[in-house]
Amino acid sequence: MEFKTSDGRKEIDPQKSGMTFMHEGSLAHMGDEIWLEIDGRKHKVTATKIEDTWWVHVLGHTLQYELVEVGAAGADDDGGLTAPMPGKILDVMVTVGQSIKAGDPLMVMEAMKMEHKIVSGHDGIVEAIYYNTGDQVIQGAELLSLSE
Amino acid sequence: MLKRTLVANRGEIACRILRACKEAEIEGIAIHAANDAGSLFTELADIAIQLEGEGLAETYLNQNQIIDIAIANDCDSIHPGFGFLSERADFAQAVIDSGLIWIGPSPEAIIKMGDKMTARITMKAAGVPVIPGVEVDGGLEQVLAVAPSVGYPLLLKATAGGGGKGMRAVHDEANLESEAKAAMREALNAFGDDRIYVERLLTGSRHIEIQVLADKYGRTIHLGERECSIQRRHQKVFEESPSVAIDTELREAMGEAACAAARAVDYEGAGTVEFLVTPTGEFFFLEMNTRIQVEHPVTEMVTGVDLVREQLRIAGGEEMSCGPLNIRGHAIEVRLYAEDPANNFLPAIGVLKKFIPPTGPGVRLDTGVRQGDPVTPDYDPMLAKLIVWAPSRKEALLRMGRALDEFVVLGCTTNIRFLRELCDHPDVVEGWTTTDMIDRLWPNGWNPDLQSIIADAGLLIAAACESTNHGKNITMSSGSSESPSPFSQLSRRYP
Repeated sequence: MEFKTSDGRKEIDPQKSGMTFMHEGSLAHMGDEIWLEIDGRKHKVTATKIEDTWWVHVLGHTLQYELVEVGAAGADDDGGLTAPMPGKILDVMVTVGQSIKAGDPLMVMEAMKMEHKIVSGHDGIVEAIYYNTGDQVIQGAELLSLSE
Repeated sequence: MLKRTLVANRGEIACRILRACKEAEIEGIAIHAANDAGSLFTELADIAIQLEGEGLAETYLNQNQIIDIAIANDCDSIHPGFGFLSERADFAQAVIDSGLIWIGPSPEAIIKMGDKMTARITMKAAGVPVIPGVEVDGGLEQVLAVAPSVGYPLLLKATAGGGGKGMRAVHDEANLESEAKAAMREALNAFGDDRIYVERLLTGSRHIEIQVLADKYGRTIHLGERECSIQRRHQKVFEESPSVAIDTELREAMGEAACAAARAVDYEGAGTVEFLVTPTGEFFFLEMNTRIQVEHPVTEMVTGVDLVREQLRIAGGEEMSCGPLNIRGHAIEVRLYAEDPANNFLPAIGVLKKFIPPTGPGVRLDTGVRQGDPVTPDYDPMLAKLIVWAPSRKEALLRMGRALDEFVVLGCTTNIRFLRELCDHPDVVEGWTTTDMIDRLWPNGWNPDLQSIIADAGLLIAAACESTNHGKNITMSSGSSESPSPFSQLSRRYP
């Protein structure tokens, strides 16, 4: 099984014994409730699936694991930048062909009554810009694309 | 005595006020926009009335519609909460002109405190210390002339200004002339007025505020301080009382100054006077908030005073019920936001599929949401305020850490983990909290301190959940409303 995590893609194939799953010395006891066992200590876990993502609350951390469909394209993010929420584009700070560095502001969006900067995650060149100042965007809309 | 109060607000603070109304045996009327139908606060009201229109301007900010509803429903008073119309003097006046009681200070007090310059002049006249500075209307030459008397570093501010326009920090006399010219140019462009103001820049200061309460019988008291230095994007995230930086003597001096500020504008009800406190223990008036504040619970926890109940009592013409100030133990409030702290605190949306708040001794939750509610981009992203009380600051931090560990929110990204790690941060533990703290500690952004053993355990849980279709069977057997649709069955994968 493969998941997208905050730390990249991870494969896991836990051993199974009844309703207990094992991996790297940790045990997950599955039932109406979930108990994680590490070094002989049990910890209550809460988990729920939303679309393809398992949200897991474990030991004070809330973690997300997005299931990667078997047979889905193996390529990672194509460098595109998407709107984190619905809102309005207030400013476009780059032009097509411009080279940018990780951390450079690319656009300013307004949502939830506040302004948010869309910031580049890596160095690259702006290949296309899909929205202009004043446009409304839906959540997940691709705003612009960057070359790697 | 009030009999029926309309709460002109929504969410968490509407819940807080409606509960106080119920406890005071006052009927509470909620108003709500169409997209708030079914929100928690509408359930806590004796009557909930839907506002016509869409968007804030037509609903929660629609003064005429709100007053018409209050009159049509025989209300005798309106509580504005915070935000929205709470500091609009014209609304306070309109409420009073329609024969209703405004639960708050007079429109005159709101106006005097709302304008920065007027507030400064009023406070100076009342003997309240203000940040050393000089207003300049004689152009550049006068700026250069007064700067030495103010001292460096200094801050140039547009007299007509706001929002950072026309604002320049000057650390050295050599830059004064060019910075002053730039500030005046910016001020002229932005406000059509190039007057600027020279003020001392107070670095490393703490943001400390004093809660005041005043009734119609001439009694004005303070209820100690709240320290609100930990902020991100100029919004507070962590508040506490008492402050480690304040001793009894300074508390009395600041409390006296805050009461003098309130008396200077004939203040009535609950209000907050904000001060900057320098590392050397000097304090200066910043502004007065003429309403109940988001962080009022920390004061309630350490003083035992129910501030919203007192607001209702005072507006109803009764004397306030509190005795002499008695600060007991330590209280901390954190604000739970729907946001991603690891991504520049960008707001998040989603559905609160699991929302399991902590319980136990000394834990209080003020929220306007419950499990199953959607988090939309329509309103403020604050989901809840978690407040703890404990006998000491150290124990309060440990209790907050414990409570945040217990808090389960799944379906919408929140800042819970960020708040949790704050509780353990040495600067917080030692009380070195300043307004620039988050930028100072995490200049390149914050990321959770996630041990690989926990990340791996989470991955194991996700895989085990996927293999066993966790949650599906429980939902069916409990017969809850979440029974699976045929479409979700269709796309179910079998291992």
